[in-house]
Amino acid sequence: MKFITTNQLRFAAVLIVLTIPFRLGLSRLLDAEMFTMAWVLALVYAVVIFAMGWIFGRKDHESLPIYDIGFRFHLTTYIICNAIAEILFYFNFNSRFENVKVVHLTAIYWGVFLLIHFVVFMATRRNAIKGIEKSEIFE
Amino acid sequence: MINSISMAKINLLTDLLTAWEDTYKKGQLTLWIFLALKDDRKYVDEIKTFVEEQSSNTMTCEEQSLYRTLRKFQHLGVVDFETGKGNKGPERKYYYLTDLGVKLLDQFVQRNISLFFNQRVKQLLNLEEKK
Repeated sequence: MKFITTNQLRFAAVLIVLTIPFRLGLSRLLDAEMFTMAWVLALVYAVVIFAMGWIFGRKDHESLPIYDIGFRFHLTTYIICNAIAEILFYFNFNSRFENVKVVHLTAIYWGVFLLIHFVVFMATRRNAIKGIEKSEIFE
Repeated sequence: MINSISMAKINLLTDLLTAWEDTYKKGQLTLWIFLALKDDRKYVDEIKTFVEEQSSNTMTCEEQSLYRTLRKFQHLGVVDFETGKGNKGPERKYYYLTDLGVKLLDQFVQRNISLFFNQRVKQLLNLEEKK
């Protein structure tokens, strides 16, 4: 079974390209105390990332309906978003209003949701053969 | 008046037949693809032509959906392909049934298709003269 699909890689590339300027922009807006704009930027970023995940996930599903695509995309998002946040903090690109503890806590809380997603994914595995849901094999 | 009643019956028959056929055909594409690949390797266009011709055009399939189905079957190990030269243009993927695919088709036919060929069922289906 392929563990990383082409569309997953494309999504990861788009995510990296969008997340770095987003994090930097967010920190600059916070430093400038433009809190409303920071909220707007975060909202736009969230919507765009969700849309990208939706588009690339759909393409992946059309290509090969592997049942765990949702989890794979979730895991990709988790790794990239948290890694970029940690790296930017490490190189002191954060704003004076940001605390590294919040970044760590976000990774932990989000990690719990990711774990729940993983449990659900493992439970649905029973209805699949080689990663494809039985009902979708001979549709 | 009588004409309109018989027209209504014909329309109902057509609607019911179409609805039944739509449901019946779902899932049949697999069997047709397997039959297309049973004896020799084919590329997608040849599979499409085989399915349409052999089913007397009762089954139609879009190339895109054929590619998607073949990708799934390849992932599952029942179909594989090798690339070969086409008549003109780029190389083509020639699909064939793997050993697992051949066994799957044989067992499916034994369990689900061959029963239509027993004497009694053939008579009921009006495929054989009643004695």
